[in-house]
Amino acid sequence: MTNCLDFRREKLADPRHLSPGALAHMSDCAACRGFSAEINENEAQLAAALDVPVPEGLAERIVLRRRAGARNVAKASPRLWAMAATVVLTFAFGFQQWKDFSSQDYARLAIEHVMHEPESFTSTRLADPQLFRSVMHNFGGEMQASLGKVRFMKLCPVPDGTGWHIVFETEQGELATLILIPAKRMQSQREQATVGGWTALARPGGQGYYAVITQSPETLGKVDELVRQRVRWRG
Amino acid sequence: MSLFSQRQFDQAARAYSADLYRYAYWLCRDRFVAEELVQETFARAWKNWDSLEDLAAAKPWLITILRNEHARLYERKRLDYTDDDPQELDLPSAAQAGSHLELEQLVEALPETYREPLVLQVLGGYECKEIAEMLGTTEGAVMTRLTRPRQALRAHLSDPAKARVAQ
Repeated sequence: MTNCLDFRREKLADPRHLSPGALAHMSDCAACRGFSAEINENEAQLAAALDVPVPEGLAERIVLRRRAGARNVAKASPRLWAMAATVVLTFAFGFQQWKDFSSQDYARLAIEHVMHEPESFTSTRLADPQLFRSVMHNFGGEMQASLGKVRFMKLCPVPDGTGWHIVFETEQGELATLILIPAKRMQSQREQATVGGWTALARPGGQGYYAVITQSPETLGKVDELVRQRVRWRG
Repeated sequence: MSLFSQRQFDQAARAYSADLYRYAYWLCRDRFVAEELVQETFARAWKNWDSLEDLAAAKPWLITILRNEHARLYERKRLDYTDDDPQELDLPSAAQAGSHLELEQLVEALPETYREPLVLQVLGGYECKEIAEMLGTTEGAVMTRLTRPRQALRAHLSDPAKARVAQ
């Protein structure tokens, strides 16, 4: 005979597969029906949170790889190892290629990161000005005035740690990305790159360096100026 | 490999790659590593495709391969399971995540020992017994590892302020 404790134990361990005894108990116990409804609601939220978007064309790339002769695993594995170590990739038309991160090309790497996260322009995430200010402060930047409306913030894996990926809308309505990379010192005072229709400018700042990425050199110039005017970097 | 095997493999790739990707993502929490893990999983699976006797068992078999690839990637023989009570774990509070507390962050903050079976069950729909077989552990251990994070998530979902008080 299932009692309330048994029912809750079962429900928490596997909400979708209850035993006949648990189901019978639930039909007789209003409190456990309420508990069940609450857990079901949590499960739905959990499922939605876990349902991350799958890269477009993933299955077809797997099939193509098999058709291409199922490249031997020994060749592929080092790339995976390298990626786990640095998590930076080049991505264009479904083709992925490892690039050695010993390169000092910080602006280009920032563009590649943005190209890999297109949802950053269509999603709203942690769009909290106070949180942005706090993130900037922790990175070593004091906001003298707002850069614009923050739309997306995410802590992303970068070589040797994590960095912040921030998308904001300027007062002129232009979208710009700001990447904060700690613990990496640039050799130069500025680095610019243009890749795949994106343009980026990296500068030393705070605990490492930051990069501004936009879709046009004109916007980049304006946003770079905005950041330089409105953020005072410590250190 | 026969044409039949090739077709079977392609069907499996189309049927399971999305689920495997999500599982991989929640293991490593990086979309690029996740895709590579899935690619490697299928590359290895294809190499050993003839050893798959029952196509119905393909998905759990692929999950096992992926899990091994992930463990190999991080040079671990096995996952580091913990019996800590997640009620006492450092789940992100509303204060830490600003006013936009997200369930995703709560899940990310779960230790792998809890996160992995939870993902397998919520996304894969597996029963405790099946998860135990995949993870090479007992059904009782899996039940515990599923119950605790749900209790913790329930506490946070029902009363996010509690997390702030606990800080």
